[in-house]
Amino acid sequence: MSDPGRDDESDLVERAKRDPRQFGALYDRHFQQIYRFVYSRVREQTAAEDVTSEIFMKALKAMPRYQDTGRPFAAWLYQIAVNAIADRYRTLRPSSPLEEFHDLSIGGPPLEEEAAHRDEIRRIWVLVEALPAQQKTALVLKFQEDMKIEDIAVAMGKTSGAVKLLIHRGVSRLRDEAGTLRPAE
Amino acid sequence: MSMHHDPELDDILQDGELKHVADLLRAGRMSEDPPLDDAFRSALRRQLMNRAWGMGERTVPWWRNAFGPAGLAWAGAAVGVILIAAAVVFTALTSGSTGSLTRDVLVTSPMNDQSAVRLQQPILVNFNQPMDHASTESAVQITPATTVAFSWSANTLSVQPTSGNLAPNTQYQVTIGPGARTASGGKLAGPKTITFVTQPPTPSPSPTPTPVPSPSPRTQLPDQHQLPGIPTGASDIQWSPDSSTVYFVTGKGALDSVPAAGGDVTVLVPDGVTSAAVAPAGNRVAVLSNGKIDILDLKALVVTSEISSTPTPLLVGWSKDGVEWAAADGVYAEGTNLPVKLSSFPTSGSIVAISFAPDGAHLAYSLDQSLQVLDLTTGKSVALGLAGAQLLGWSPDGTGLMYSTAQGVVVSDVGGRTAATLPAGEPSWSSQDEILLGSDTDLWEVRPDGTGLTKLAEGTYHLPMWAPNGVTFIYIRGGAVFGASTPAPPPRPSALDAAASAVNIFMLARKNQDGVKASAYLDENGRKAYSSTSGGLNLVVTGDPSFSRYYLLTQSITGDHPDTAQFVVRIVLSHDKLDVSTYEETLTLVRTQGSQQFLIDQAAAGPLLTLGKGAEVVSVEVSPGTVKITFDSDLKPESVATGVIILDSKGKQVGGNPVYGNRTVTISGLDLKPHATYKLVVLPTVQDVGGTNIAAEYDLTFGGPAEAHGGANGRGEQIPSPNSQASPGATPSPSPSS
Repeated sequence: MSDPGRDDESDLVERAKRDPRQFGALYDRHFQQIYRFVYSRVREQTAAEDVTSEIFMKALKAMPRYQDTGRPFAAWLYQIAVNAIADRYRTLRPSSPLEEFHDLSIGGPPLEEEAAHRDEIRRIWVLVEALPAQQKTALVLKFQEDMKIEDIAVAMGKTSGAVKLLIHRGVSRLRDEAGTLRPAE
Repeated sequence: MSMHHDPELDDILQDGELKHVADLLRAGRMSEDPPLDDAFRSALRRQLMNRAWGMGERTVPWWRNAFGPAGLAWAGAAVGVILIAAAVVFTALTSGSTGSLTRDVLVTSPMNDQSAVRLQQPILVNFNQPMDHASTESAVQITPATTVAFSWSANTLSVQPTSGNLAPNTQYQVTIGPGARTASGGKLAGPKTITFVTQPPTPSPSPTPTPVPSPSPRTQLPDQHQLPGIPTGASDIQWSPDSSTVYFVTGKGALDSVPAAGGDVTVLVPDGVTSAAVAPAGNRVAVLSNGKIDILDLKALVVTSEISSTPTPLLVGWSKDGVEWAAADGVYAEGTNLPVKLSSFPTSGSIVAISFAPDGAHLAYSLDQSLQVLDLTTGKSVALGLAGAQLLGWSPDGTGLMYSTAQGVVVSDVGGRTAATLPAGEPSWSSQDEILLGSDTDLWEVRPDGTGLTKLAEGTYHLPMWAPNGVTFIYIRGGAVFGASTPAPPPRPSALDAAASAVNIFMLARKNQDGVKASAYLDENGRKAYSSTSGGLNLVVTGDPSFSRYYLLTQSITGDHPDTAQFVVRIVLSHDKLDVSTYEETLTLVRTQGSQQFLIDQAAAGPLLTLGKGAEVVSVEVSPGTVKITFDSDLKPESVATGVIILDSKGKQVGGNPVYGNRTVTISGLDLKPHATYKLVVLPTVQDVGGTNIAAEYDLTFGGPAEAHGGANGRGEQIPSPNSQASPGATPSPSPSS
């Protein structure tokens, strides 16, 4: 099933390919999600601005060569983003505590339960950061960015099967390393 | 716990624990937006659009791709034209009720890409067709944040800041967004951004010397008269310290004198004189004759002492301690009983002593073809210019000199550091710090730093020689010696203007990546401040973003004896023509003795600041009672009241409440003292009209204004008398040969 607005986006993409001056509409549409993804990875505003600039500059430059494979344009932007982050932060670790960036405020259960649940979420996302890079990227794109497997495959330059494998291995490793987790209800 | 079900994961994560992990991961998704600076978002968009426009202009027409290679391009173009024409006809036939063709909307501006736009004018935006006024005006975005009013004249939109003028030193970006519509409802192909930079609030001093012809060069100067007693071939011509008498050595070896106003010649020594030098006090003359030096009392006209020395003296001069002379192996002076050797010449090469400096501290000599200056205190020599350079004269205080090169007359200090290169001519340096340049055809006057070049007269003025009074001079015409007075010189630039000129040349050289030229404006401390080997500042800024422009933010005289000035210079870095960041350098300049040139003695850089994050201070105007701070953006007036303050050196707030108007904050009720230090503080509470606070507290240290003394430029700075301590010219310039 194609995404809502896909036809509209294809039109924007085609126009931007013919005339780079039309790229502004794509920028307006995707800036927020790309910036948000970058920020979640680099955890520092100035660095996020630098990387985001680099991503859109590269995208604009490569626009005439963009091939519409039927996947969302965002998948291509994520691909550039994944590479840009990997290039710039290959040797760096996020420096800020994770709880600043992941929603731990889930309402409903009693306080003790809520605290325990928050602790689980915090532990899981700490463990995500320690995963091998490919597994980590696949999990972030799936669970944080809510992307489809095929789109993640485009972003990571892999097959859908390979992405599924990365997700399975990543989640399995989290389960093993997290130790005691409450069973699914 | 209710979780979003993702069917894609069903076949990947079948185990209950794995599904639980997946739920936890999903539950931890970022739910809040990360910190985001809207200025960054819009700045990046502008940057992308600018680049896109550049790409768009280079886009190859589609028919060239379709019909490549290049040889088929014309054929392709022809087919393209036919296709377009067919499409046009088809469109015209099928366009229904409108019956009109849509033209691309072209947006232009005479200000686009300009770098010194006047402040007193609206921003003009031209369209190639009638526009819908309301939608077009709504589509205008302007940075920095500026409240504007619109008016139309035919297809031209005038965007006028409601505060009156444009902000100085500011890069404006005016974007016509895609919401603009033509009168017939057509759309823009994309946003169009017009970018330009405004000029400073007042023009900066000209960075390069510009000849300023006198309104009416004269053929006759005041008091012009011949001195009949001075024959052709006279040498060692020199003035008495009181400018009343001219001394000279005739071709026959006689030492004579003649009143400068004209009159009879007095023969002081009848023959045998090879060198002579009048003492600084003017009461004695040292005469080198027959290999010995006689000290002649000029009042009694009797020899008061004789000096014999081996090797034989060849050139005589005076220092503050007494007579000195050059011999074949070095320089000597009188000792208690015997001559004392001050310095030795190099032991190899052909050496000719040329001239002692007026203060006797240096000697110019030639070593083979090289012009050298020997420091008689240290014994070290410095080479001047290329081989064949000729000494042309000294400054009256002996700390500067002039020599010839192929390019003209080089003004240098005695350390060999070039201060300026003047047009070719025969120069003489006055006690008033003016240089006469004589020639076969005219006479010019110029300052030692190369500024104020003024033509005084037309006609032959060979080998002019200033009198110590700096008003009268003698020169040679047709083999005879004449005297004359110069008209009043043009107003000297204030110390601040002279220092600003040096800063401008220094900064322009850096902008042009000319490190060698920039280095000429650094003294020893300054060179250390910009030393790349010791972690100093970058003299030449390379890379991207690049050094695109600079402007002087504050300037003040902070000391005298020697004159000292402090400047805060803002350096703007750009990427793809867009200003992206700035930093400030605080430069302290000190006026050197001799050349009287300002050199950078100290430099410090502030932090790199990203532009587009709130209002920026772009101009600070300081007077004793008032400081005016101009911003690039319109501000919310209520945010200014407590957000802009001035502190004295003890951190105490001075002045009254800020008054805001026309983008400028004025703080009155001040009593700023010359040479004192103050700090301007702009707090982050200051907001532009768009509601954006300035990114961080901004501090600017500045000096109190100079006292009002009716200076030449109206700024009230005291005009220095740089040679007030200089000794009178007792040592001659190179002897005239004509």
